[in-house]
Amino acid sequence: MNLVNPTYYRLELRRLRRDYVTLFFTIALPAFFFLIFGASPEYGDEPVRNGNVAMWVLINMTAYGAVTATAGLGGAVALERMQGWSRQIGLTPLTDRQYVSVKATVSATMAAIVILVIYALGFATGAEAPLREWLLSGAILLAGSLVFALYGLNIGLAFRSEAAVSAAGGSLVILSFLGNIFIPLGGWQLTVARFTPLYGYAALARRPLTGGASFDQSTGEVLAASSIWADVANMAGWFVVLATVSVWLVARSRSRQA
Amino acid sequence: MDVCLDTKALTRTFSVPADRTKKATRIRAVNKVDLTIRAGEVVALLGPNGAGKSTLLDMVLGLITPSSGEVRVFGRPPRESIGEGKVSALLQSGGLLRDLTVSETVELIASTYHHRPPIDHALERAGLVALAHRKVGKLSGGEQQRLRFALALLPQPDLLILDEPTAGMDVNARHSFWEQMHHEAHQGRTIVFATHYLQEAETFAQRTVMMMAGQVVLDGSTDWVRAQAGGHRVGAEITPDRAEAALNQLRQRPDVLAATGEPAQDTVRLAVHTTDSDAVARLLLTQLQATRLEIERGSLDQAFAHLTAGAPA
Repeated sequence: MNLVNPTYYRLELRRLRRDYVTLFFTIALPAFFFLIFGASPEYGDEPVRNGNVAMWVLINMTAYGAVTATAGLGGAVALERMQGWSRQIGLTPLTDRQYVSVKATVSATMAAIVILVIYALGFATGAEAPLREWLLSGAILLAGSLVFALYGLNIGLAFRSEAAVSAAGGSLVILSFLGNIFIPLGGWQLTVARFTPLYGYAALARRPLTGGASFDQSTGEVLAASSIWADVANMAGWFVVLATVSVWLVARSRSRQA
Repeated sequence: MDVCLDTKALTRTFSVPADRTKKATRIRAVNKVDLTIRAGEVVALLGPNGAGKSTLLDMVLGLITPSSGEVRVFGRPPRESIGEGKVSALLQSGGLLRDLTVSETVELIASTYHHRPPIDHALERAGLVALAHRKVGKLSGGEQQRLRFALALLPQPDLLILDEPTAGMDVNARHSFWEQMHHEAHQGRTIVFATHYLQEAETFAQRTVMMMAGQVVLDGSTDWVRAQAGGHRVGAEITPDRAEAALNQLRQRPDVLAATGEPAQDTVRLAVHTTDSDAVARLLLTQLQATRLEIERGSLDQAFAHLTAGAPA
């Protein structure tokens, strides 16, 4: 049988469409941030290598949007588990691998929608970069966002309640500040930021545009390019951490009496 | 007959998280259960809450792994038999997505089977055609249970497992549910159902397996289980001056499990729990000059109380 069950995938997309309030805010919030911090200010037209600052802000805000989308879906998986849906699925021939594949494909679809809509908005309102940079950064945003489905899943499994939704949303805002996404950091703040989960993801997505350079908002000085391997190591390290925690939390929930 | 289900020394322990008063401990929810169920049987798995029924069924369905021992369904590990649609189940609660409609839910579950069972037929059989486009979250408890029932029947399983299937149903729903189960049983399906509604075991199962504290304590025909554990209840009235002596005499008999006297107006109401109701009745009428004799077959309710109290069976 197919790894991704097409009927299940189609019905999952229908569920996403029904939950249009979540869908709307997942896209509207980062789009709004971009319009305020990227498209409107005068510095948006300042050049950054092949593009402009508006593009730089656009990539950051889209990273935030894509991550909230996948983390939200990961959290929904945890909620489904707690409500016994995984037991119902466990009574069918559908394997864990097939279930995870459907969910991963749905998350990727959702992230792709968020990226496409916000990128289209950015394109229409002044973000500039060569086509290659648009495509590359979009692809990195999409692939990397899947890692953070695990982040939502972990929070959902750990909290075991609807409070997980606030915990995931709130913590992603904080991690976005710490991850050099909302405000360009410098000095000791940047040193700390390099070790936080969203830093590597956003830095890699910006790299086609910036070549790895960043700047410090408080001083306005341009900071020298960092090594691509540091960003990859951040992303890979956090992937291992999140995956390990997921395996542990799922095992814990299975060994407990329901 | 073919063996449907076979367990050998099946055991499952759970850790109970530590609290302020005691350290984390492990409990044996299911303790060395040997159980063989053959094709065509209708078996009640009977026991009070916490007896280990659900845990046993979860292992039979491959939803949790045994701590030790072995479970085989149609001679193979549970997941393999589920993959072929030979076994399916109706679970106790939860398990549905509230934002899908009834027909979408059936469609989704049907899509996981290799032979793609027809959806319309399943909806019809469970009486859900009129509700096909309603959201699951808007169904009543009984309607949700009918949907779970439809899902369980989708693969046309040879073995159907039901974990407290009528919990939350009203009397009418319960009645029509068991009528439908009779229909399924007549088609040759093997049915194993967990229940603590004792009447359901009595009216529906030929065989009853009684579990307590993780172990099988009685296993045989439902009539036999009742006779073993329940016996008969003999009631009679006697004048107060004779009551004391009569009770003493009754209690000395080996076939009397318990005898009590309840004073009423001008009389004492005797209640005798016995394994030989004929002998006790004869004694009451001929020697003890009791009147208004009544004999009731012991219910499994009494069997529960009896076994739980640790009295000799």
